[in-house]
Amino acid sequence: MKTKMITLCVNGKDHRFEVPVNRTLLQALRDDLKLTETKYGCGTGECGGCTVLMDGKDSVCSCLTLAVEAEGRHITTVGGMTHEGELHPIQIAFIEEGAVQCGYCTPGMIMKTASILANNPNPTEEEIRKGLDGNICRCTGYEKIVQAVRRASVMMDTAQTRKVGGMRA
Amino acid sequence: MSSRVLPQFDLLEPRNVADVIALLSQHENQVSVLAGGTDLLVWAYIEKNKTPYVLSLSAIEGLDHLDYVAGEGLRIGAKVKVAQLLKHPDVAKHYPALYQAAENFATPQIRNMATVMGNVLRASPAGDCSCAILALGAKVVLQGPAGQRLVDIDDFWVSYGVTERQPDELAVELRIDDTSSSTCSAFQRLTRVHEDLSKLNVAVRLEMDQDTCKQARIAMGCVGPTPLRLKKTERLLTGAKISAELLQQVAAAAREEVTPIDDQRSTAEYRRQVSGVILKRVIEQAVAKS
Ligand SMILES: Cc1cc2nc3c(=O)[nH]c(=O)nc-3n(C[C@H](O)[C@H](O)[C@H](O)COP(=O)(O)OP(=O)(O)OC[C@H]3O[C@@H](n4cnc5c(N)ncnc54)[C@H](O)[C@@H]3O)c2cc1C
Ligand code: FES
Ligand code: FES
Repeated sequence: MKTKMITLCVNGKDHRFEVPVNRTLLQALRDDLKLTETKYGCGTGECGGCTVLMDGKDSVCSCLTLAVEAEGRHITTVGGMTHEGELHPIQIAFIEEGAVQCGYCTPGMIMKTASILANNPNPTEEEIRKGLDGNICRCTGYEKIVQAVRRASVMMDTAQTRKVGGMRA
Repeated sequence: MSSRVLPQFDLLEPRNVADVIALLSQHENQVSVLAGGTDLLVWAYIEKNKTPYVLSLSAIEGLDHLDYVAGEGLRIGAKVKVAQLLKHPDVAKHYPALYQAAENFATPQIRNMATVMGNVLRASPAGDCSCAILALGAKVVLQGPAGQRLVDIDDFWVSYGVTERQPDELAVELRIDDTSSSTCSAFQRLTRVHEDLSKLNVAVRLEMDQDTCKQARIAMGCVGPTPLRLKKTERLLTGAKISAELLQQVAAAAREEVTPIDDQRSTAEYRRQVSGVILKRVIEQAVAKS
């Protein structure tokens, strides 16, 4: 087949539409669904601008995933991080630490952070740095991003005990 | 349009291995198998290796097993991702070289997407899991119309990008040789940053009796058209006691045995120089942990 009707579950919402089978998930998100928060940087899996979360846990590059292959998975973009109008603790941490300059890498960085913390709620600095591999930032020099991830881990730890700030898959 | 558009193809989505074989037989050389897509869907690669059909493995049930059985070894299904190796305690325990290759492999996103099998089937001399697997010893299980056959990893890569796999065969499983308490192994690679492919990688598997090496397998990547066994250098280690002096000789032998080229990631001269140094270090790392 050259095109396929698919149902993509993005940020908890199902979208049914037809795509050419050679369309990447990134193109489907940006061009078909007009969810332009996920960014195109390199198209070859190296910059992390296009990072989304699969099934609430695994970071993947949407530029190297076919849209048809994402059917049946729960995809989270940075647009799905807010909950009832409230920013997610990771987003708040990035703002409070000043971890955003031009902002182009930020959607990918936030999703990568979500994946780091989903797999390891209290990462060490080394684990944070290793986790951030694959997400390039041309502005910040990374220090503030590392601090933001650490702050987010502390905030979410506290939030967890207060049962707020849950992320939707 | 927000990024480069992949060339057009027809997508095949078989649900079981029998249907894969039927489709591969029907379309002969016209099909690319799609596993994680981290090689196949890179625009420049697919543009150069265009086929009218792409056959996705994602609808297939199974092929995602990762099992260690003492006395038999490790079985890695065709759909097992590199990231899964890092979560399996037996991989860390019995196959340090493979664990370390997975640990140093690309980035978290790529490790979540890339399969171990795809690395072997890509037949690149820079494949990190491939290098570790060659040192550890393994069989590739290929399934075709006439059933399954096992190809030794030593014979699997024919030349750059070319393997023993026939167009009507699917690679279904990797079987890594068993290890014992006297086996030690390690992997190291040289890169600029993690996103880059290796400039050079090396893995060893040694069977030790105290300080004496009974048997050695050395695999090195980026120093020839496919990952290479350094068999002459291995002979220096076999039956010898590991000492600083021996490792000097081993390093010198490796420099003689490799056949590197210049490319965008490094030069032949540099690769030849460091091959011996890195080999020496990886042997030290392997025996230190045994
Ligand atoms: C940003 C980036 C960084 C990378 N870094 C590294 C690195 O550090 N180290 C490294 O070794 N590699 C690296 N790679 C290369 C790539 O990720 C690996 O080679 C990976 O293991 C390929 O697996 P895959 O599942 O994505 O394969 P695919 O791209 O799906 O397939 C690769 C090839 O194998 C064939 N194939 C796959 N499965 C089968 C099967 N079961 N039967 C028959 N044929 C099959 C395909 O047809 C194709 O030719 C990197 C790639 C990118 C994009
Ligand atoms: S656009 Fe996907 S990693 Fe750069
Ligand atoms: S803030 Fe500009 S690229 Fe990261």
